[in-house]
Amino acid sequence: MLDTSNVNYDEIFVRYDIVSESKEKPETIAAKMLPKDPLLKKVAEDVLYMKWKDIEASVKEALAKYKPEEVIDKGLVKGMDVVGELYGRGIYYLPHVMLAAKAMELGVKEAEKKMTTAMVTKGTVVMHVAEGDPHDIGKNIAAVLLRSNGYSVVDMGRDVPVDDVVNKVVETSPHMVTGTALMTTTMAAFPKIAERLLEKGVELPFVCAGGAVNRAYVESFPLGVFAEKAMQGPTLAAKAVEGWDYKKIRSKWDELMSGKA
Amino acid sequence: MAIKRFTKMEYKNPDEMVFGEAKYPLSYGLGQKIGAGHVVPEINFAPRPDAGKNPETLRREYVDYITKDILERAVNIGLPAVQLENEHIWQMVNDPKRFEKPVVEGQKALMEKYHNEYGIALSIRHTIADPRLCEKGLRPGMDKEHSYPEKVIEAAEVACENGADVLSIESMGGKEVADYAIMNGDIRAWLFGIGYLGALDMEWLWPQLVDICKRNKVIAGGDTNCAGANTSMFMAGGYLDKDVARTFAAVTRAIASTRTLIAWEAGATGPDKDCGYEGPILKAIAGRPTAQEGKNCTCAHNDLMGNLIAQVCDLWSNESVEYHAEFGGSSVQCWLGSLGYEVALMNTAKQLKQDKILRDLYMNTDRYRSPEAFILAYDNAYKIGEAIVANSKSYYDRAKAAALTAATLIQEEASKKNGLRLSKMEADTLNGIIRDLNSLPDSEGKFVEWALKEYKKVPMFNPKNYGL
Repeated sequence: MLDTSNVNYDEIFVRYDIVSESKEKPETIAAKMLPKDPLLKKVAEDVLYMKWKDIEASVKEALAKYKPEEVIDKGLVKGMDVVGELYGRGIYYLPHVMLAAKAMELGVKEAEKKMTTAMVTKGTVVMHVAEGDPHDIGKNIAAVLLRSNGYSVVDMGRDVPVDDVVNKVVETSPHMVTGTALMTTTMAAFPKIAERLLEKGVELPFVCAGGAVNRAYVESFPLGVFAEKAMQGPTLAAKAVEGWDYKKIRSKWDELMSGKA
Repeated sequence: MAIKRFTKMEYKNPDEMVFGEAKYPLSYGLGQKIGAGHVVPEINFAPRPDAGKNPETLRREYVDYITKDILERAVNIGLPAVQLENEHIWQMVNDPKRFEKPVVEGQKALMEKYHNEYGIALSIRHTIADPRLCEKGLRPGMDKEHSYPEKVIEAAEVACENGADVLSIESMGGKEVADYAIMNGDIRAWLFGIGYLGALDMEWLWPQLVDICKRNKVIAGGDTNCAGANTSMFMAGGYLDKDVARTFAAVTRAIASTRTLIAWEAGATGPDKDCGYEGPILKAIAGRPTAQEGKNCTCAHNDLMGNLIAQVCDLWSNESVEYHAEFGGSSVQCWLGSLGYEVALMNTAKQLKQDKILRDLYMNTDRYRSPEAFILAYDNAYKIGEAIVANSKSYYDRAKAAALTAATLIQEEASKKNGLRLSKMEADTLNGIIRDLNSLPDSEGKFVEWALKEYKKVPMFNPKNYGL
């Protein structure tokens, strides 16, 4: 093996991730965002610190003082807001978000037991992976993120035929439909879905994503809205619920993705 | 054929390993020799989205456009040898006789024409698709809706009967648990998903593929854990990506090697699949030729070991590129040129007996660029191989040994003043991985008993898919 003792690796590559590593601790950021009330704070912290084994007890304690809706909005959601902030800053990674979402889901279920009416979600999203495509990790991550942001998800799974997607959208009238594909040939199902939805008079944003999928392709057919990452799902869903059509989302896509719209 | 686990290293020491040479070289196809003293470019491609509309549009795309373009460019720039790889699309496994057969036949016929006219050494690897769905069933008779397990075997037969020189697959066993493991940062789940369940699926699949190859005098190449370890690697990504810690990805790669190895233990001979970055570990153990991809596959994806991973390759690949026009010709022509010139550099180095220098230059440019690159550097790959063969008692034992060896190598190197550096997340994750692995039981039986309870609620996981 070559003697490399004199090699200066800093001139070969730079670890920009270490250079730009956040020095802030989760606790410092959380302190500025968490609720002050001790009971709600405990609920939020159980989400933030992924204490999914403790959260049901914490929610029960909070429910003694607060309505279920308040425990959800002022406790669970606030905890998830901090998680989103930490993820955005690169302090939390994907597994933190997934485990926090698991805690949140358990907490919501506990709170729902005390609710007299069904929980109102922000909106509904139908999700699927294209026919012939078994790669579904992106869709699964996006589904967790949408649920933890308060959306109802109809998860159709993977390898889903075009007609099944169209029928499910007609049946459930969601605010948004998503499709993911890893391969160039499986993503060819997306324009067919869009075409058949329009034939049935259904117009809604059809968010397409995945390995081989790109913005130019998705914007080459009606309804198509491109997503680069799973974390963009809640932003796009929020706009769909607000009533933005696919043309408006497309025209504001850059601003949306940079958080300026 | 029974699975015969490797219990010793075919190479005496890591320095014996170099690109373009394998302990067990192969001859096949139209004058092709692999691992026999030179490296061969392997060009891979994907058809355009609408090409799969019907059998004729697909045949035309693969044969008249893609294959013809490749062969023209190969001759135009004077490449002595080329291997093509066709990674089959879903239509080709879903309806092999209509979609797959004309493509396989057509590609081979055109290759024969160029070989006869110019003498260029040519071969083609057909990588059949694996669309099996664990929620429907991975074994024959289980998936009543699609019959995918049966179709995978049929697709292999059609490929081998109609022109394949090498047969490969990117099999998917254990992926449902591996995906869960990545999403939740759970290395024990990964060990169960790929190190054990994936191994059982390989044990079911590969003897059948080897048998089909033997009957048709086709080379049984090998597999890759693209569906698992590459998912980890791509999600760990580059320095701006913050989804999966790169130490997690590195350890999953080490585990993946124990699963991919089973194709060769079932009688396949290599070359393994290009996207199996675990190839250096496999080659160190088995001495079989390995296909690899790095800097000349940036058309398909990014990694942090573009040079390093060329260190011991026998085929050098572009992973895949969608067929489309570029300024310099079609995409397959451009990327073949990129591969061809890199391979020319390697082969010149071999002729001038400078190959080990070039190997070390490749390796050192990326050795410390990421933890995964570090454990795949040929000296470390060799150490992981040693751990695997020394723990061949069970799939669990060797997967755990591979994981702990990789994790320890990273931890020891990162504690030194110069060399590999870890971010806080990488270091914290690594500490957790070592703690979790050390907490596992000693025997495979106890581990499986524990894991079946621990992961029984993982979405879509069904033990019956693995004969459990």
